[in-house]
Amino acid sequence: MDTIFLMNSMWVMLGAVLVILMIGGFILLETGSTRMKNAGHIAGKTILTFGIGSIIFWAVGFGLIFGSGNSLIGFSDFFYSGYDIDSLSLSGAVFFLFQLAFAGISLTIAFGGFAERAKLGAYLVFAVLFSVIVYPPIAHWIWGGGWLAEHGKQDFAGSTVVHLTGAMAALAATIILKPRIGKYNKDGSANNLAGHNQVFTALSVLLLWVGWFGFNAGSTLSVDKGFFGFVALNTNLAAAAGTVAAMIISWMVLGKADVPMMLNGALAGLVAITASCAFVDTWAAVLIGFISGILVFYSIRFFEKRKIDDPIAALSVHGTAGVWGTLSNGFFATKELATVGQPGLFYGGGLHQLGVQAIGVLACGAFAFIVSFILLSIMKAIMNGLRVSEEEEIIGLDMSEHGSYGYPELMKAEQKLNA
Amino acid sequence: MGNSSYIEIRNYRDSRIGEVSRDHFRLNNLHDEIMKQVIDLAVCRTKEKYGSPPCSFSFFVMGSAGRSEQSIWSDQDHGIIYQELTPEAQAYFLELGMEITAGLYQTGYDYCEGGVMSINPMWCKSMFEWQQQLTNWILDSSFESIRYLLIFIDGRSIYGGNENIEKLKSIVYQTVHKEHLISKVLGNTLYLKKGVNILGNLLVETHGPYAGSFNLKEAGFFPYVNAVRLLAIKANVTGTSTLSRLEQLNEAGLSSIEKDIYKTLFLRLLNYRLLYGNHTDYKSGHYLPIQILSKEQNKELKSIIKNGAAFFRLVRRLIEKDD
Repeated sequence: MDTIFLMNSMWVMLGAVLVILMIGGFILLETGSTRMKNAGHIAGKTILTFGIGSIIFWAVGFGLIFGSGNSLIGFSDFFYSGYDIDSLSLSGAVFFLFQLAFAGISLTIAFGGFAERAKLGAYLVFAVLFSVIVYPPIAHWIWGGGWLAEHGKQDFAGSTVVHLTGAMAALAATIILKPRIGKYNKDGSANNLAGHNQVFTALSVLLLWVGWFGFNAGSTLSVDKGFFGFVALNTNLAAAAGTVAAMIISWMVLGKADVPMMLNGALAGLVAITASCAFVDTWAAVLIGFISGILVFYSIRFFEKRKIDDPIAALSVHGTAGVWGTLSNGFFATKELATVGQPGLFYGGGLHQLGVQAIGVLACGAFAFIVSFILLSIMKAIMNGLRVSEEEEIIGLDMSEHGSYGYPELMKAEQKLNA
Repeated sequence: MGNSSYIEIRNYRDSRIGEVSRDHFRLNNLHDEIMKQVIDLAVCRTKEKYGSPPCSFSFFVMGSAGRSEQSIWSDQDHGIIYQELTPEAQAYFLELGMEITAGLYQTGYDYCEGGVMSINPMWCKSMFEWQQQLTNWILDSSFESIRYLLIFIDGRSIYGGNENIEKLKSIVYQTVHKEHLISKVLGNTLYLKKGVNILGNLLVETHGPYAGSFNLKEAGFFPYVNAVRLLAIKANVTGTSTLSRLEQLNEAGLSSIEKDIYKTLFLRLLNYRLLYGNHTDYKSGHYLPIQILSKEQNKELKSIIKNGAAFFRLVRRLIEKDD
């Protein structure tokens, strides 16, 4: 067997492992950013929905994305059985697993908008619907040879496909679910429902940061010329710049170096560079990351002011930074690196690529939001609401949805104190 | 005064507060008047229940009341010093403290969350015990005990004469100087809540019921009050209000130009609180919703806040240099 085929397979397999480990990052991120009484529920449902997403991806998702069809949707290769794919110089099963991991991440991001108030049933049903109806069309348009691919849209590892799609579903969910009890006062001012563990949140960022090397560098799908190293380098630089930028802006505006904000800056840098990591120079990676760190700060404040309660900042980290990252190609993609599409504005490409990127963002963002909104509205009507009762929300979803607390001793002690 | 119930005193307060609510000095005179009425009534009632006081005593207030810097609403911080160390006296004055505390609460003064009230044996002691306690605080010089000392230093007698508290304070001042503790005292108040960011904007609360409002107490008053208290300790100044302390400082501490500037700024700050603070209740009174200020007022408030922080830094340097 040919060495390159084996090495590509090894490398992408490593990428798949890293991306699936990012689910662990999201578990820590989401539990750390929310309250103790929901910790067990959030950790458990994240694994569960990845399980559901995996099976759906195997049954239909992969076929809808990569199957042969038209420019809007693929329609073959359902119930994938592990065969190699002719056009790829790596193991078909490895490629499949890598793509499955991406779909799982997008789904996990979408569920950020459900946090601390949605019924478990809503997770189960939406996991299926998102994995069939929301994610595959967009992935097909950009990566599966659909209309945006033909158009020359640059989204190397999925700022749009994975992150923006997930964030738009999260936005639809936060709007339909409405804010958590106690988030807003009668006069409209917001309360800070602080997450229960900043150490979890920081560790989650490190896990995601490392996992992102699989996400971005793995998306080379080959070891050819060691290009994955360059992609990983850009990824690291953007994350670093995002962290520093968010720290600086929160210190400048709020007068203190806010820890959750700094961590969101790191993630925003990672999300933003995801689209452009293979197309831009290192200095541009730093700039893209830096700008995303500032954007995420203002974006979080923007959504909070508009009474959109987003407990883990999914809309800002994945949505706002995803949009910026996708558009950044239109400015910074270089002639040498733009293997898809055209170079950006600063490299003599004019406004062409920026336009392509903008159309991609608009089309995918609108599709993901509208379809998710409709699906969730139908679910709400049929399932008699998506939200747990007020009493259940107050005792916590650990108890209401699963019958036991993630921190049983602590919760018991607290209840005693309150009694 | 012929008030026979706390409700009557409360009604008196309510009827008078409006007319003085825009004048810092008249407002604080009214507070003193009300607190004295409450004490008179409480002394009467305690007499009815337990007989005459077993010895002479004085009652003092601390915190913003001690400094004569109360806003419309205020909380309680007070203590009792009685002459003779006997178990009967202790029991009697704790009862009196209980009566006064309850009376003040009924007339509109919130309880002190930190328990600095004469129902607490720590703040209701004989002269001899007070001397012991203050000496222990100084010698211990932990963060906690210095905090108590700082609270005590703002004490002002409003009933029973000021001889006792003046005597105790002079002991504190002497010992602080003898033990070179002023830098320790400085260390207790070094944390300042930032009021203005690097872009020059006022830093308002971002979350909670006072979102969009400026925390006048911590970011506005604390730097001035703490800086002037430090200078007062250093110069053995006996006044308790920030303005009178500034007045009494000699040239060695601050030049008369500086004194005038900071007095003016502080008085402006007191007026901002009175005129624009949210006086719904005691807690809200610390906050100023900045959106109601005009552009010029916003600018002036910023300059008061910035100057407060600069003043505190200046005093910090003065203290550190001497130490």
